[in-house]
Amino acid sequence: MFVWLETTPIAQLVALSLWAYPALLSLHIIGLAIVVGIFSMRDLRLLGIAHGVEPTAFISLGKLAWIGFTINALSGILLFTSQATIFITSIPFLLKISFITVGMVLAVIIQARLSNLLVDDRYINSVDRTTRFLAAISMSLWIGAIIAGRLIAYF
Amino acid sequence: MLESLTSLIIDSPLNQWILDTYWLWPVLEIVHFFGLSLLLGGLIIIDLRLMGYFRSLNLETINNLVPLVMCGFSLNLVTGILFFIGDPMRYSVNIGFQIKMGLVILAGLNTLFYSWKIKPVLANSSVSSDTPISVKIVGLISLLAWTGVLVLGRLIPYVGTG
Repeated sequence: MFVWLETTPIAQLVALSLWAYPALLSLHIIGLAIVVGIFSMRDLRLLGIAHGVEPTAFISLGKLAWIGFTINALSGILLFTSQATIFITSIPFLLKISFITVGMVLAVIIQARLSNLLVDDRYINSVDRTTRFLAAISMSLWIGAIIAGRLIAYF
Repeated sequence: MLESLTSLIIDSPLNQWILDTYWLWPVLEIVHFFGLSLLLGGLIIIDLRLMGYFRSLNLETINNLVPLVMCGFSLNLVTGILFFIGDPMRYSVNIGFQIKMGLVILAGLNTLFYSWKIKPVLANSSVSSDTPISVKIVGLISLLAWTGVLVLGRLIPYVGTG
């Protein structure tokens, strides 16, 4: 299947065109900055850094992170097609995809917990232990995704 | 200027150490990527709010993200300098690198302008209101400049010499 994927016209375009691969990499770094950027700010805030910012501020910013995620899912799939057989056997690549998947699931859970803070505004600036724990896991996953993503080029 | 700097760096002990330490380059890249996430993450939030989006965000409290932005910038300044020392011949003549540095300087001047001229203007406006046009432009310039820095940084291996 991955051999076939590499022979599709779109994969050929990404692999052979002079501009397609760098253009997709450019989109991919913009998406990375949005996704990991917003989620790092959220997680670090939930862990007590920059505690002047209201935790609930990150509810509306969650949508923006999803836009970044969409940019990277699309550009990532296109980059993947060009060397599908190499990527699919790359341990760092598989780790990266696993970290991102769990990170996005955690994002949904954290988002729901932040929305609960809004319901009872007595707790609007307090972050419970479980949410802090999830934020620590989430931050580690995004750092892990960056580490694994960079190492794809080396292994 | 860049050329004399380059000849000074080549064969210096630090240049040799960076080249000889096989694990260092990927580690620097990873730190540089995490640094850009902190830098851009904070700036995207602050700049979009300055441009009048996400008005539910409090204009004053989001300034608490600035230390994280500065932390990201410092990480990338240090790792960036080490990249340059490790391979000065590659970067000094690279047109992508040169424009990227120009945009970092532009972004820096824009930030100085923000602190001197714009922050006092904002002090008078409500924390949840729309922003004046001058503030929107400062936010937009910042976002565009940093997006350019990101893209040009990624394109350094693909563009030629200037």
